[in-house]
Amino acid sequence: MSENTVIELNNVSLSYENRQILRNVNFKLRNGEFCYLIGPTGIGKSSVLKLLYRDVVPDSGSVRVTDFPVNKISMKQVPMLRRRMGIVFQDFQLLQDRNVFENVAFALQVTGEKPKFIKQRVLEVLGMVGLSHRRKNMPSDLSGGEQQRVVIARALANEPRILLADEPTGNLDPRATQEIMEIMKMINNRGTAILLITHDYAVVKKYPYRTARLVDGKIQDLTWKGDKLVPIQSPV
Amino acid sequence: MNLKYIIKEGFAGIKRAKVAATTSIFSLFIAILLLGILSRFSYNIYMQAMTIKDLIEVEVYLFDVDDQTQQDIARSLNNESMVDAVTFISKDSASAVMKREFGPGVEELVELNFLPASFRLKISADAEVDQVQNLVSRIRNLRGVDEVEYNEGLLKVMETNLNMFTLIGGGLGLLILLAALILVYNTIRLTIYAKRELIRAMKLVGATNSFIRSPFIVEGILQGILAGVLAVSAVFFIFEMVIPFYLPEMGILQWPFGRWYFLIGAMFLLSVIMGWWGSRLAARKFIEETYISG
Repeated sequence: MSENTVIELNNVSLSYENRQILRNVNFKLRNGEFCYLIGPTGIGKSSVLKLLYRDVVPDSGSVRVTDFPVNKISMKQVPMLRRRMGIVFQDFQLLQDRNVFENVAFALQVTGEKPKFIKQRVLEVLGMVGLSHRRKNMPSDLSGGEQQRVVIARALANEPRILLADEPTGNLDPRATQEIMEIMKMINNRGTAILLITHDYAVVKKYPYRTARLVDGKIQDLTWKGDKLVPIQSPV
Repeated sequence: MNLKYIIKEGFAGIKRAKVAATTSIFSLFIAILLLGILSRFSYNIYMQAMTIKDLIEVEVYLFDVDDQTQQDIARSLNNESMVDAVTFISKDSASAVMKREFGPGVEELVELNFLPASFRLKISADAEVDQVQNLVSRIRNLRGVDEVEYNEGLLKVMETNLNMFTLIGGGLGLLILLAALILVYNTIRLTIYAKRELIRAMKLVGATNSFIRSPFIVEGILQGILAGVLAVSAVFFIFEMVIPFYLPEMGILQWPFGRWYFLIGAMFLLSVIMGWWGSRLAARKFIEETYISG
């Protein structure tokens, strides 16, 4: 894997509950790259992310994230792998009994950071997502868009090289979606690679980045041709 | 590892899941209390049985033998490990005892001087019937010994009852302990299940399994301490206030080994160990089986 690549899937096959989800998939995400992974619901897009954060292991092939051979590492190394990436889901997964500050600080506490650094870093990432003023609020006081921004702040707390986002705007209205996408854009501009799963073509069109589609167990890169996304002939 | 965070989270865990924590503490409290009560009763019953066994004596009647033979017999008896004490009762002493016990009118019989000299043996309370029977056989074979007598029937009844009691008491204790372990394990598992979102979130941000587990173990130990304090207080209350007041006929039940802190310490320690063990086992299993993607 070259130093430029942060994610690499080589001939990866994965089956789940007797269903073949991936068939000899090859995929690369370069350092600082933004890529959408699209495809119909239930096709297995989330399974690609599960492979990356090692919730599942492939039947065959190899998965590499930064310098981690994901399918070969021991269970003890899995937390170290996850510290290299930020993960954002559609359901916000905030801890409802802690305020915004505590929800973000939590990501640094579990990695053993010093309280002084935690305070400084939490305020910094909350500032990045525009929520410093709501740090004492509980998640239930926030709108869906704000909750998702807290999740993004938490994902950024450990300064990950990669951000994995699984339908981050799936539960949001158009305005909140736009806010989240602007934040994603800003994060990417700061050098973090992003792999974002979506089936919202409007988002893909409005914020044009590399787009790949999962279809029939394969990932193929697409390009805009007029109003349509069509496969690129030479795969990346 | 952030120790301050782990301890803080352990305390906060009880506050956050009050119902589950209360259930866990209550089940542990009941189990430890039952074991405490059972232990104290068992100890007292055992001690009573030992006192009765202690009263059982073996009488060794001698033929009319010379002093040398008498001394040889005394030496052999003293060498027996099961014999705690040997008392020689001469013919004259035996006559005096007879006179004292039967009162006036037995003077003529006493003058016949027909009572034999004997040894009275105090047998160790730990000795079992088989061992006493073997001892008696050995003594019967000693030169100069006429007859050996002891209350074999009472000894047998005592031993049978004591064995039965040990079996039932021990079985009951084990059953309570096992039930408590299962109860504590399951209750703590429920407590942990109630926090599956927290576990998922911790895994999501790269917490190690041991780090995720630690606050649960701290919580389990805290639950053990609270349950232990409650159970110990209840035992004090029952044995020092309730029983002497409402059941004075039971008398004062002794603390095992004569000191209160042996039973209290054991109960408290057992409670903490069970809280620790239950939470560790439940947390380990549940955390390993929890996936980020649900």
